[in-house]
Amino acid sequence: MTTAFENLSVGDSITGPTFAVSRESIRLFCDGSLDYNPLHLDDNYMKGNFGKTNFGGIIMHGMNNFGLITRMLTDWADPAGAIHRRLETRWLKPVKPGDTIQPEGIIKAKQVTQKSRWVLIDVLVKNQNGEKVATGEAMVEFPVANAAAA
Amino acid sequence: MAQAQAAFETDFWKDANLRKVWDEIVPGEPRKTIPYVLTKEAIQLYCRSVGETNPLYFDEAYAKTTRHGGLIAPPSIHILLMFSCTPADDWMRSPGTVNAGQSWSYNKPARPGDTITLQARALDKFIKRERLFVVHDNVFFNQHGDVICSGRGQTIRPM
Repeated sequence: MTTAFENLSVGDSITGPTFAVSRESIRLFCDGSLDYNPLHLDDNYMKGNFGKTNFGGIIMHGMNNFGLITRMLTDWADPAGAIHRRLETRWLKPVKPGDTIQPEGIIKAKQVTQKSRWVLIDVLVKNQNGEKVATGEAMVEFPVANAAAA
Repeated sequence: MAQAQAAFETDFWKDANLRKVWDEIVPGEPRKTIPYVLTKEAIQLYCRSVGETNPLYFDEAYAKTTRHGGLIAPPSIHILLMFSCTPADDWMRSPGTVNAGQSWSYNKPARPGDTITLQARALDKFIKRERLFVVHDNVFFNQHGDVICSGRGQTIRPM
């Protein structure tokens, strides 16, 4: 069943698969993203303070949250012929090896513009304790005439 | 293991002394970037690192039957492109750079075999609660001059 623009309601929720964070998953993300910042690799380096912050150990890349959120959104949008157009995020808590995180979204608004139709979605990523580790807002386009995608 | 075109330097401490500190970053000044040929292998390694299993990124026969007409990269491929297009002496690679959040707008998908170029600059820098912030502007283009995606981010600079 496709989720046509008309069938969507404010308050509808979207969930994505859980993601188990480990030293190995962080290392794989380093290889996949080419981001080898020692924040994600070097235990000794991470014992130190970063200004007023001490992370206490290596942390997951913030952009790993971003990748999970976009995966959730494209898996939801693509079968409906919709296109993920924008995502804005900020990180609330560091994510560490041993955490399990999961993205979620809630439709907050629908807007019809001169040439297209848009859905705004509040997104977040939670850890196994139900704490928000990242939040943001996404925009998905539902083209009017399901024309060939870019 | 990813195969970069020129060997990608994974030790971010190397060349650390060549990189600009917050004081030296000039908002508005374009930063030097490197063109990058995005391979199917690089796309798929990135996909595995975030658990992406959508056949659009892996199954060419399937992808050809869709409106995309062939394999594409996921929208968030800019996460890889950011580093693949950034030289080793750039301040984006400074150890301890903290990503304070990003926003990205998506125009066209990147595809295997695309040559991607990055236009990037710092747009702004400020101090908040004793932390040094930089606002970044980044636009990725394919070889046809199409915008693939455009993003803005903030980093907290190491002190």
